[in-house]
Amino acid sequence: MKNATFRMLGRVIDVLLRHRLIVVAAVAAMTCVMGFFAAQVEVKTVFSDLLPKNHPYVQINDRFKHTFGGSNLVSIMVEVEDGDIFSLATLGKVRKITRELQQVEGVDTYQIVSLASKKLKEVRASTEGIESRPLMWPELPRDQVEIQALRDAVLNNPLVYGPYVSRDLKATLITADFSDGEVDYLKAYRQIADIAAQAQGDGVAVRMVGEPILYGLVNHYLSETLHIFLLTLGTLILLLLLITRTWYGTLLPLISGGVSAVWALGMAKLMGFHLDPLVIVVAFLITANALSTSVQLISRFEHEVENGAPDSVSAARVCLAHLFKPGMLAVLTGAFCVLVVSLTPIPLLEKISYIGSVWLLSILITALVLTPVMLSWCGVRHRPVHPLDITPLLNGILRLCAALVTSRFRYAVIVGSAVVFVVSGMYAFNLKVGDANPGSPILWPDSTYNTDAAAINREFQGSDRMFVVVEGKREGALKEPAVLEGMERFQKYMEAQPEVGGSISLADLLPAVNRVVREGNARYQELGGSSNENGELVYMFVSGSDPGDMDRFADAQTKNGAVTLFFRDHQGDTIRTAIARVKEYVTRNPVPEVELLLAGGLVGVLGAVNEIILAGQIESIAYALLVLVVCCMLTYRSAVAGVFFMIPVLLSNTLTFSYMAWQGIGMSINTLPVVALGIGFGVDYSIYIVDGIREELHRHRDVGRAIASSIATAGKGVLITALTLVMSVVLWSFSSLRLQAEMGILIAIWLFISAASAMFLMPAMVAVFRPEFIVGSRRHPIDLAAPAEMVPVS
Amino acid sequence: MLDAITRLGGGVRSVVALTTSALPLLIIGGLFYAAVFVKAEPMVASLQAPTIERRDVFLGVVAPSADVLWAAGSYGKIVRSEDRGRTWALQQTPVAEHLQAIAAWDLQRAVVVGNRGVVLVTSNGGKDWREVDAPRSEVANKLMQVRAYGNGVAWAVGEVGAVLKTRDYGMSWSRALEEKDQAWNDVFLIGDHGWMVGEFGRIVTTRDGGESWQAVESPLKSSLMSVHFRDAVNGVSVGLSGAILVTADGGMTWREAPRVTREHLNCVIWDGVQWVAVGDKGVRVVGVADGSRWTGGRVSEQDLSWRTQLVRVGEGFLLAGANLALLDQGQLEIIGRE
Repeated sequence: MKNATFRMLGRVIDVLLRHRLIVVAAVAAMTCVMGFFAAQVEVKTVFSDLLPKNHPYVQINDRFKHTFGGSNLVSIMVEVEDGDIFSLATLGKVRKITRELQQVEGVDTYQIVSLASKKLKEVRASTEGIESRPLMWPELPRDQVEIQALRDAVLNNPLVYGPYVSRDLKATLITADFSDGEVDYLKAYRQIADIAAQAQGDGVAVRMVGEPILYGLVNHYLSETLHIFLLTLGTLILLLLLITRTWYGTLLPLISGGVSAVWALGMAKLMGFHLDPLVIVVAFLITANALSTSVQLISRFEHEVENGAPDSVSAARVCLAHLFKPGMLAVLTGAFCVLVVSLTPIPLLEKISYIGSVWLLSILITALVLTPVMLSWCGVRHRPVHPLDITPLLNGILRLCAALVTSRFRYAVIVGSAVVFVVSGMYAFNLKVGDANPGSPILWPDSTYNTDAAAINREFQGSDRMFVVVEGKREGALKEPAVLEGMERFQKYMEAQPEVGGSISLADLLPAVNRVVREGNARYQELGGSSNENGELVYMFVSGSDPGDMDRFADAQTKNGAVTLFFRDHQGDTIRTAIARVKEYVTRNPVPEVELLLAGGLVGVLGAVNEIILAGQIESIAYALLVLVVCCMLTYRSAVAGVFFMIPVLLSNTLTFSYMAWQGIGMSINTLPVVALGIGFGVDYSIYIVDGIREELHRHRDVGRAIASSIATAGKGVLITALTLVMSVVLWSFSSLRLQAEMGILIAIWLFISAASAMFLMPAMVAVFRPEFIVGSRRHPIDLAAPAEMVPVS
Repeated sequence: MLDAITRLGGGVRSVVALTTSALPLLIIGGLFYAAVFVKAEPMVASLQAPTIERRDVFLGVVAPSADVLWAAGSYGKIVRSEDRGRTWALQQTPVAEHLQAIAAWDLQRAVVVGNRGVVLVTSNGGKDWREVDAPRSEVANKLMQVRAYGNGVAWAVGEVGAVLKTRDYGMSWSRALEEKDQAWNDVFLIGDHGWMVGEFGRIVTTRDGGESWQAVESPLKSSLMSVHFRDAVNGVSVGLSGAILVTADGGMTWREAPRVTREHLNCVIWDGVQWVAVGDKGVRVVGVADGSRWTGGRVSEQDLSWRTQLVRVGEGFLLAGANLALLDQGQLEIIGRE
């Protein structure tokens, strides 16, 4: 830094320190106000927040979800251990569940389907024509004869036998759809879980699956999440206390982290955002940044005290003067990188991005200003809080590190890093977009939810749905034999994919009606040969049935219909393959009267999300790196500087991506927030150390000594933050939510690699390459600082 | 390292200088390019549809030898196995109509009939299926069943009283009876003796190889779906709602056996030991040689699919219907299902 700018900064710092009471009071007041708002932040999951609104699939889903079923489907399976479901006791339970589901908050009462609902019907021929009546509504069968009749009706009905009653007759399904936006997942989950628990027993198992259950569970574990958060905090305090042996070294970082969190949450409330429990780990990531900044300042402060600063005010002054630039750079780079995430057109990510940027920017005040100001009160003589001193150990590590990077080993460090980078970079290409495993990656594989999901998908065609809209160009288009046959062929084509358990459409409904009309002759289970014939079949189905019964298949004008595909899982690969196959089929087999539109239901909207993530991942990584490069370039007025700081970020990214690929963690809507934000982090440690070297070179021209000195001060800060954070973040791995555990480990890896590359790789590179922006050159030598700096403030 | 470079002299130094200043710009440019222009494309492995898919319906089967099996079904699909059903090969056909039945003269020559009067023939084991012209009605033309006999003779029956006959391995077809508003569901011949059954419980019989047909009184008004004789005298016909008719006089008089199921029966055969009939919801009905005692049951307790036909294959059976299945020593294997 030029001496002139240095002097100006010095004056600002003087003002801050002179009016330190006012500064602290202002921050406290602001924190109170923000705390008031922060207390009102809602913690909840809004599924529609996860969906890219402008994506065509999501728009199709929004347009048709009320008729063809949305993405909030809950499937409840009633399964018997012995015999089949056709007993009064079991059927009674099915009816009880079906009725009680009506009372659940946010349920779309028209979209509850089960044996005991009005929706599942038997179509049969009688003297008065075709009659269609509910299978088991409103009354249960009275005796064995009626049960036998129900059983026969079920077996005869391809819309029931298979989709709603399992092939072996041991299980039946109850499905309910929830309205988007109105559903409180936690309440819905608790109510459904109650209903299920009551029905459980007497040789009957009740299992449930679906996004509302899943997000309800996540909210259900919120108190556990809170406990882990508090436990992490406690561990953090203990570790800081153990290492620093001073109260200020323990409390000041926590105050910084706490105050910035309060400000950020307050801002979130003011911006009208809520907090998603799944991204609470992200909060930890940002808090880590605040802690790190504060610890750096304290570490520098202590260094100045050791070097004979006359009082705490002057030590605070010097430490802020030295760390202001790298601190600014670290915070601003992080904030801008996080802002880049908002380019991804997913509401949740946009919100996280805005909150994250504000949060990071608040560190400028809460850590960079508040910590030195508070330090100025701390005095220079301290008795350690406890006798256990691990400073020699830390110093040992730091000395080893300094010795390593200034010796011949520095080449080994660089070559080793290059190899790790290349290998992990190549392995990172195995990272999958979308969920990488069946079941929900949010929960552990042996969790009740995931075992339930596996059981339901084993008994039935698949609990995850996608509907493809068949949009007719005129009324009655769906009655055309070519259209219906096209739909059936499309279904057949899609069912060749093993993960597609089955599909259903008007083209399945009409053959069943046709067969009934033809005395039940199996050879007539086929579509009508003409538009008129199909029209009659539709009419026969609709007449005698209630309005709305047809909605699942087609509208009243037989203009728009849907093909619903059932998926056994919603892994990224499954969805991608399915969507690619739909597109391929549509281009190869155009039907003149209609158009096939992708895609609704859970699988459809997840397909949209995955497409957005896939299309945007290169873009967002590139933009984030660009932001980083530009920030560093401007700060150090050197293009080399930009690229120099890119290296640790690239390394930590390829390694975390490799870890995700190795552990089968997909880049999904749930992991993306952490991964996307992570790009912006991990550079701050390097900035502190490299800038430390540079600042040291203002005093002398010995690069080796400068490196050793920077590692002793900035490196100590890095070591302390990394140690405490990595050790406390490991606590997350005990979470009942697999996602939190994995994200915790991911963050730990991130912090560890960032710290390691800051302490070993960066100094080694400085020692080897001697970039001009750090060590200067003959043409642009580094200014030697004026010695007047150390004069105490009067 | 810089010292080492300094010692190398001016030329190398300027090259290094140029590289170090150009490289960052290149990297930044590359990032910008990646951000704006590069879009990741999903990689999707291509998927080969299995020969027999879940949605395939096979309505007709034939076993021209103990090893060779042939099946015809929905959307013009024909498959053939040459290893008793272990592996199946798809055969190309020129039509997309649902095929209802298949009959074979030998391993090479066969005929298939189906909806809209479609008739296909092959003379090379199905490598080529050719559509041939057959008489059609103005009203409806679904052909239900086809049976092949010696010297290239075959009979096909279907809607609107269709009774078609060929004498040249299916190359040309002629109408054997006038159209009428009643469908024939099955035809069966032994030598010059023959029988046809159809809608409204109608039964006709011939004693001259099909030159002339006489109506026989039927005890039923509901449709008969299938007829089979174990010799010229003893025969059985089955139909809707579990109907079973038995004759012991060459089909002149028929008596109804007590029903053992309410399900439709679609096909009956004599397997050498007993009568076996199959139908809806996986039912199987077996009867003793003289048709005096019948017992109901299922093909397999785990399977409730409807069946339209069964043929004897070695010690077991090949079944057509909602799926294609092999039954061997009570074990049902559904082909094409995992």
